[in-house]
Amino acid sequence: MRRHDSLVQLLAQAVLVVTTVFVLFPYAWMVVTSIKPIADVVAWPIRWIPRTVTFENYAAILGDARFLRSLLNSAVVSVAVTAISLALAVPAAYGLTRLVRGGGRPMLVGVLASQFFPPMVFFVPFYIMLQSVGLLNTLPGLIFAYLSVTLPVCTWMVATSLRDIPVEIEEAARIDGCSSARILRDMILPIAAPGIVTAGIFAFVLSWQEYIFALLYTTTERAQTAPVLMYYLLGQHQIDYARLMAAAVLLSIPIAVPFAIIQRVYRSGLTEGGAKG
Amino acid sequence: MKASPTAKGYLFATPLLVVLAAVVVLPAVYNAVLAFFKYDATGNAWRFVGMLNFRQLFAQDEFWNAASVTLLWVVGNVSLQLVIGMAVALALNAVTSFRAFYSAVVMVPWVSSFVIVAVVFLWLYHSELGVLNDMLMRLGLVEQPIAWLASPGMAQLSLILANTWKFFPLVAITLFTGLQAIPRELVEASQTDGASRAETLRHIVIPLMAPSIATAVLLSAIWAFNAFTLSIIMTGGGPLRATEVMGLYIYKVAFDAFNFGMAAAASMLLFAVILIVTTLYLRVADPARGARD
Repeated sequence: MRRHDSLVQLLAQAVLVVTTVFVLFPYAWMVVTSIKPIADVVAWPIRWIPRTVTFENYAAILGDARFLRSLLNSAVVSVAVTAISLALAVPAAYGLTRLVRGGGRPMLVGVLASQFFPPMVFFVPFYIMLQSVGLLNTLPGLIFAYLSVTLPVCTWMVATSLRDIPVEIEEAARIDGCSSARILRDMILPIAAPGIVTAGIFAFVLSWQEYIFALLYTTTERAQTAPVLMYYLLGQHQIDYARLMAAAVLLSIPIAVPFAIIQRVYRSGLTEGGAKG
Repeated sequence: MKASPTAKGYLFATPLLVVLAAVVVLPAVYNAVLAFFKYDATGNAWRFVGMLNFRQLFAQDEFWNAASVTLLWVVGNVSLQLVIGMAVALALNAVTSFRAFYSAVVMVPWVSSFVIVAVVFLWLYHSELGVLNDMLMRLGLVEQPIAWLASPGMAQLSLILANTWKFFPLVAITLFTGLQAIPRELVEASQTDGASRAETLRHIVIPLMAPSIATAVLLSAIWAFNAFTLSIIMTGGGPLRATEVMGLYIYKVAFDAFNFGMAAAASMLLFAVILIVTTLYLRVADPARGARD
């Protein structure tokens, strides 16, 4: 029996080690390519370990004014979408889960269901709507499009975290004469913080990496986001993969950092729940 | 006089509902209406044409090509992701050390940017300088570099592999959560009764996991129906439209051919298919739960 168990452990470890390599290899190769001198990038058979490490690819991409502009655009859009999504989702989730009698669940389900529309349903109507109000090729136009994806999911995430808070805490505070706004700010928000942070990170990461709407509605440099610029770099006659990989590394960082935070939030949230239960 | 909590609750939700109406409900309804109109670019006017857009779609070879490519794409992605996801979920469930590390690693593709996945896989697959060919040739598995994206069959397979890399975590984590919910006593009781691990897996674990498997299949299928970033970046739908999934086809009808009405019609059909798949899932998942209780 014990030998059988250790065999299962070995097999499970083997599966997970292979999975880890499968998952991490593309990223490892991206980083290695980004620090190779151009002569090594085009060498065949491939030089797995670069002879020298260079940051010229990073210097080149960071010296490209279009790339910097697109990074700024991506940052503005992502921060704005995150802020607007939370500003709308948090009060709504609070109102529907804590105030409405019976929990407002049908309406919450309706809100969530609105994310089941495939993005293609919005291609043409968004284009016409944005064009008619002069928001094509603008960042506000893009923000408008992204809210259609972030709002349902963010509301659902915040609502899920709010549902776990006992109603008694709130009722006690209300009897003591606290206003709804005060209860929301001083009691509910701190407890629901992990859920709100997760929702915020979701909105940020989604907007940071979104590509299809950005391609459709921003054709000029003025409003182009970083993922769209990557696409245009690929369309060039001679694709400079070292430079592309450097750009990919830079674009991955704003996703990697929140992901690390979210891992910590989840883990602390889990231990907290365990301690209380 | 004070407003009731319920009224206040709806008041709190009003801003969200107004914005959602503008960014989701209104465009979706607008799209449904446009499916029955033709857009005249020269006069900037819309003309009601009844079912014409749908009739034109059904008469187009490219539409049927996109439908069959999408079917292959969805089936290929879902089955591959289910196999890999199940293996990873079982391993995560069994493993006693480094579980936190492995579950963090598994989530990496899921949070990766789709454009970066496309660009990096394009580089891995590169026929002259790609590391994948280099590895296969060093290992002596192939004589000649493989043109991963140049032939119709290979291109479809290569994109499915890249898409599976991106989406298997969703399946793995959904199945892992389902595995964790299975009462340990049940598995132990079965093994005390002398059932082998394989028998326990087949007769106890898999049936109890049916709802999670159904959920994983549904999520994976919906994402596959919607995903076309890889096709548009890595192959542009080629070679010979072999990777032109429905999303990319709709994109081309709308913004290459500027046939807005027909694109709207095609997107409504895709939406209908996704609705049917979801309804089937609800039908299948619910009675299963009832039967076991």
